[in-house]
Amino acid sequence: MRLSQILRLPTLLASVLLAPVHLAAAEHTSNWAVLVGTSRFWFNYRHLANVLSMYRTVKRLGIPDSQIILMLPDDMACNPRNAFPGTVYSNSDRAVDLYGDNIEVDYRGYEVTVENFIRLLTDRVGDEMPRSKRLLTDDRSNILVYMTGHGGNEFLKFQDAEEIGAFDLADAFEQMWEKRRYHEILFMIDTCQANTMYSKLYSPNIIATGSSELDQSSYSHHADNDVGVAVIDRYTYYNLEFLEAEVRDLSSKKTVGDLFDSYTYEKIHSNAGVRYDLFPGGADVARGRLLTDFFGNIQNIEVDGGKNSTVDDEMLALSRTIARLRAMADQQDQEPNNSTKSARPDTKLTKRRQPAKPLTNDNWWSQKLVGATTLAGCAALWTLGSYLEGARSRRRHVDI
Amino acid sequence: MSSSTTRNRKDGPSTSEADATTSSASLGRPNDNNVAGTVPATVTEPNAPSPDPTPAKSSKIKPPPPEQQSHVLRRSLIIASFWLVVLCLGVPIWWRTTTIYRANLPLDQMTSWADGKSCNPVLPIRVAIASPDLTEQEVQDLISTTQSNLDGIPDLPSLQLRLEAAAQTSLEDTPESHGDNSIPLVLRLTQGDGTMSEPMSSLHTLFPILEITYPPSLKPTPETKSSGLATYITAQLRNTFAEEQAILSYLLGSSAISSDRQQSSQHTIDESLSKRITRSMKYSGTYHLTFSLFTSGSSPSSWDIDSAINEYMQPVLDMLRPIHNFTIDTQVQLYAIPGVQSQVLTKEELSSFINAAEWPLSPSIGGAPTINFVIYMGNQTIGLNTAEETSQSWLVPQWGSVYLLSPPAAAHVPSELLKQPVLTFASHLLSLLGTPQSGSLPMRLSTLTRVRSVDMVLRASSSLGSLARLSLALPSISIPSSVAEGVAKSIHHLELACSALGSTDSLEHARIAETEAERAFFEKSMVGQLYFPDEHKVAVYLPLLGPVGVPLVMGLITEIKNWKARRQQKA
Repeated sequence: MRLSQILRLPTLLASVLLAPVHLAAAEHTSNWAVLVGTSRFWFNYRHLANVLSMYRTVKRLGIPDSQIILMLPDDMACNPRNAFPGTVYSNSDRAVDLYGDNIEVDYRGYEVTVENFIRLLTDRVGDEMPRSKRLLTDDRSNILVYMTGHGGNEFLKFQDAEEIGAFDLADAFEQMWEKRRYHEILFMIDTCQANTMYSKLYSPNIIATGSSELDQSSYSHHADNDVGVAVIDRYTYYNLEFLEAEVRDLSSKKTVGDLFDSYTYEKIHSNAGVRYDLFPGGADVARGRLLTDFFGNIQNIEVDGGKNSTVDDEMLALSRTIARLRAMADQQDQEPNNSTKSARPDTKLTKRRQPAKPLTNDNWWSQKLVGATTLAGCAALWTLGSYLEGARSRRRHVDI
Repeated sequence: MSSSTTRNRKDGPSTSEADATTSSASLGRPNDNNVAGTVPATVTEPNAPSPDPTPAKSSKIKPPPPEQQSHVLRRSLIIASFWLVVLCLGVPIWWRTTTIYRANLPLDQMTSWADGKSCNPVLPIRVAIASPDLTEQEVQDLISTTQSNLDGIPDLPSLQLRLEAAAQTSLEDTPESHGDNSIPLVLRLTQGDGTMSEPMSSLHTLFPILEITYPPSLKPTPETKSSGLATYITAQLRNTFAEEQAILSYLLGSSAISSDRQQSSQHTIDESLSKRITRSMKYSGTYHLTFSLFTSGSSPSSWDIDSAINEYMQPVLDMLRPIHNFTIDTQVQLYAIPGVQSQVLTKEELSSFINAAEWPLSPSIGGAPTINFVIYMGNQTIGLNTAEETSQSWLVPQWGSVYLLSPPAAAHVPSELLKQPVLTFASHLLSLLGTPQSGSLPMRLSTLTRVRSVDMVLRASSSLGSLARLSLALPSISIPSSVAEGVAKSIHHLELACSALGSTDSLEHARIAETEAERAFFEKSMVGQLYFPDEHKVAVYLPLLGPVGVPLVMGLITEIKNWKARRQQKA
C-alpha cells in the first residue's frame, strides 16, 4: 500500500515525461523469454512439460538460447520413475521429445528459488554470475515471462519450500521499469488462482494473462497412462495449440488479442483472465501487438546496399594512417615520461615490502581495541576467579 | 495452597522461629510427608487464624495466611528483574537484529542529477582559426564577428562553439600538432586566387581540419567587418556539427532530462537517426568480437581469418583503441543449416536466417558484450523486391552482421577471399558502435567520444535517480554502506565529467561514474523478499511471544493489582 502511494507521484511524472519518447521509439530490438517452472516431484511432471513446451515454441520462433532463461526445479527426464528415460513429453502421442539433445537449462534444481528469480529480474547478481544466466535486457527489450506451478491467492509456491507473493512480483517488475530494463512485457501464468498473481502489478507496459480466477483451479489436460501422470495443463495446452497452428513462423500477423480470444471456458475449464490497463493505450493497443513481438525474435535487419568496396578500402587506409599517427603521438608523449618513470620503481619496491595487511582498512584501530579489551577482560575474569577460589579454600582451611 | 508451599520451601533458610517449630511439630503426622527434608505440603501456619481445628483436608477452604513483608518485596523484585531483562536486553537485541540497515544516501543530489539540474549538458567545443593570410587584428575581428553570429543561431543548443586563434604549429600536418584533443576542430582559412567567386570548404581526411578557401573579394577589411566570410564560416560550422547536435538532442530527449530548452528541438528528430541510435550497442569499455564461419557442407573447413583480421580489421580496432578495447575469438562450424532454406532470401527471411536454436553463438564467458560476425558459405543469395543491386551482407541491430559467401573450390579459405567480408564487418562495427555517419573519419571519432561521454553522464544520472526513487519507494529494502560509497564516488566523477564535458578525460570520468552508479543500483545484497504480509509476521512472532509474553504480562498485572489492594488496605 505504502509503496504504491509513494510511487504514484514519480511514476506519474515519469510517464508524463517519457510518454512522447516512447511513442516516437515504439520498436524493440531484442526479445527475451523467462520461463519458470516452480514445482518439484514426479507427480508435477506436467509443470515441467508446460515450461519445456513453451521453451520449444519460443526457440522455434527464433529466440536464441542466450536470450531464454529457463528455470527447471526438477529433472523429470532422469527421474527413476520415468518409463521413458531421458525424455519429457507433453502429449500422450509422444510425438515430440521436449527434452531432445539441444536444451539449455539456466537454473536447475535447488537454484530455482524466489530469491534467484527476483535477482534474475532485477539483475542484482554478483560478478561470478555468467552472462548466459542473466537477463541483460534494456529499454528496447520485449520480455515474455511465463510461470507455472502450484499457486494460491496472491502467491506462487516455489519447490514446496517457499512462495513468491504478488507484491514481490509487482515490486520486481517496478524495479525493472525504474531501471528501464524492458520495453514491453507479456506475463503469462498457469497455476490455480493465477489471475490473482498479476492483480498487484502496477508498472506500465505490461500485458498480463492467467489461467484461472480467484478460487478456481487450473486443470490438467490429459494423462499419459504409460508415463503414469498428467502431462500438460489445459491453459498451456490451448495456448500451444494456437501458437502451433497460427504462428508457424515469424511472418505470422496474429495478434495478442487473437490468442486471448481463443480462450474459452469449455476448453480451459476455468476463466482465463487478461489485464490490459497497465498498457498505454489500453486494450486496443495491447490487443494489437503481434504475438511474434513476444514469442519470436524480430530483427529489424538492415540489408546493405550495392557494393562500394572503394569506400571500404579508403576507410581502411585512413584508419591505418590514423592509428599509426596516434601511436607516434603516444610514443612521443611517453618519451619525456620515461626518465621520471625510471626513478620510480625503486621506491615502489621498498614500499611494497610491508607486513600482511587486513583486507579492509576501515576501523582497523577500533577492531584492535575491541580485541584487546576482550583479552584484558578474560584475563581479569580469570584472575578474579582464581583469587576467589583461593580465598574460599583458605577460609575452608580456617573453618576446618 | 501449593503456591504457599513452594514459597515456604524456597524461603527455607530465612523462616522464622515460629515456622521452624510448627514444621518440626507437624513432622509427627503420618501421611503428609514428602521426601525427607522437605517441608510438608499442608502446613498450617501458626500465625494464621484458625477458627476451626478440623482435619487438614478441610484447610483448603481456609484463606491463605497473610504474606510477610519480605516475601512481597522479593516477589516484586523477581518480577521487576524479569521485566528489566526483557526491556534492557531483549528489546534492544530484537530491535538491533531485525532493523534494516539503510545507509544515508544524498537523495536530493541524486534526484537533481537525474532531473538534469546539476549538469548543464552543453559541450564547450574549441574551434581554432588558422589563417596564414590574415593579420592578427583581422583574425580577431573575424573571430568576434563569427562568434556573435554563432551565438545568435538557435540550432546548436547543446554545443557551445568557442572560437580562438590557432597556435602557429597547427598549420602543419604533423601528428604532434594534433596530438592533443583539446581542440576538436581547426579552421584553416586560405585565400584563393581571383578566379573563384564562391568560398569553398572541405574536411581534411586525416586530421580534424576544415579547410576553407575564400575568394579575395571576401577578404575581411576593417570596413566590412568581414561579415561575408563570417556568415560563411558560421554556416559551415553549423553543417559540420549538425549531426552531433541531432544525436545529442536525441539522447537528451530520450533520457529523463528534458528541460524546457530541449523541447523545441525534440520534434525534429528524424526517423533514420532514431534507427541508427537504436541499432548501436550499449556502451562498454570492452567488446568481444566473435568471427564465425558456418559452412553448409564439409568444406571449406579452415580459413585464414588471423591474417585477414590483422590486415583488414586491426587498423580500425587500433583507431578505436582510445574509446574501446576489443577481444577476439573465431570458430568454424561445418554442416550448419540456416534457419531459412530457400535459394533466394527475401528481407523477411533474412531476419530468421540465423539458426539460433542450433548454431553455437552463445555470448562470451567474460563480462564484455559480444558482437557477432558470421560468414555463411552457401549458395543462397539475397533478393529484395527493389530493383537495385544488393550486396551479400546485412546488419542485425545490437547483435552483429552476416555475410553470405559462395563456397570456394578448395577446402581452405584464403585471406584474399575474406577481404571484402572483413572490410564490411569493419564498417558494420563502426555503425554498431554508434559512430556518426557524416564528416571525415577523425571528426566522426571525436564526435563519438563526446557523444558517448554525454551518453554515459546521462545514463549514470538516470541510474542515480532510479536508485533514489527506489530507496524512497521500498522502505524495507536494506541499503548497505557500499551503495552510499558507490553513489558518492559516482557523483564525484559525474561532477568531474560534467566540468570537462567534451574532453577525453570526461569520457573516462563518465565511464567510472556510470560503472559506480550501476554497481550501486545492482548491489547484490539489496534484494530479498521485500514484502511480508502481516499474517506472516504474526505467524513468526506468536509462537515465540505467546508462551513468554503471557506469564510476563499476567505476572505484572497481578502484582499491580496486589499493590493497589495493599495501598487501599493501608489507607
